[in-house]
Amino acid sequence: MKNSRRTFASCCSLVWAAFLAAFLGAGCANKEEAAPASNSLEVRSAWARPADSGATSAVYFVLGNDGQSSDTLTGVESSGLADATGMHVSTQHNGMMHMSEVTSLPVPGDDSVAFRPLGAHVMLTGLQRPLNVGDSLSITLRFISGRSVEVRAGVRQP
Amino acid sequence: MRLAIIAVASLVLVGCSGQLERGVVIQDADPAPALAFTAANGERFNLASEKGKVVLVYFGYTHCPDVCPTTLSDWARAKRALGADTTNLRFVFVSMDPDRDTPALTQSYAKQFDPSFVGVTGTEMELEALKKRWSIAAYPEGDPRSGIYTVAHPARTFVVDRQGRLRVLFEPGVSGEELAKDLRKLL
Repeated sequence: MKNSRRTFASCCSLVWAAFLAAFLGAGCANKEEAAPASNSLEVRSAWARPADSGATSAVYFVLGNDGQSSDTLTGVESSGLADATGMHVSTQHNGMMHMSEVTSLPVPGDDSVAFRPLGAHVMLTGLQRPLNVGDSLSITLRFISGRSVEVRAGVRQP
Repeated sequence: MRLAIIAVASLVLVGCSGQLERGVVIQDADPAPALAFTAANGERFNLASEKGKVVLVYFGYTHCPDVCPTTLSDWARAKRALGADTTNLRFVFVSMDPDRDTPALTQSYAKQFDPSFVGVTGTEMELEALKKRWSIAAYPEGDPRSGIYTVAHPARTFVVDRQGRLRVLFEPGVSGEELAKDLRKLL
């Protein structure tokens, strides 16, 4: 799926969505101040791992929802950056690490969700250029409301 | 499943070791299973030849976007924190993705985190034998034919002590600083 937005099926996503809403929201102490009039989505603390061309990287950030109404993250896309771009979550089960695709992620109003190491991340597979420390990249988050948010992330070591 | 049983038993015993803060100590540890591969530069890595050193082993894959680079970054941070105390310390990354990871790619990947890190892999047959010896699992998730798939792999870092015994396990998420503190006690 080259340079494409992933339009996610809703099937099987609800359980993940509920799990992730609890999992991701639990550690977000820096909740955005409520700003009901703006109803804005804001990304902060975005960064990406360095990786060679053809390899895989991950993008992490905190997604805040300043509004009072919730929205749902349904896809992520990149342009000229990777062969495939998608949301995943790392999970540990019976001593094994697994990764699962996330198809739908609620972002409650007046709250935030965190994409962080060993948890949810945007996975960039088949990088079309190397990502070196100091570089920057851009991805776009798509929401069920029709809104979109551009994420600009610097490439750095964790 | 010998290691799995040991791991579960050791989780019960972790509070009794009284030595390490984050490492799970395996009581009555057995000699580590064999692990020997030829790296891309032609150098042979043989765990059996590393007695006298503490060896950290992680089984992952280079296309791993999250857990493997997090672990290796924590290793690198621990090594920096230990400073000059790393002469008798080895960090070994073993790729369990023979379809995509060549010895050269695996070595290059490991050395991105620290030039001293060892990155090795083997053929599918060699890795199958390795999995049996270490009582671990690793397998593709998704469709390998598509070229876009992930690999389920052991979560823990295995630590072989200076006597060559499989002695300690570290769960993912142990920071470099925490790791350094525990490694200092093992060195």
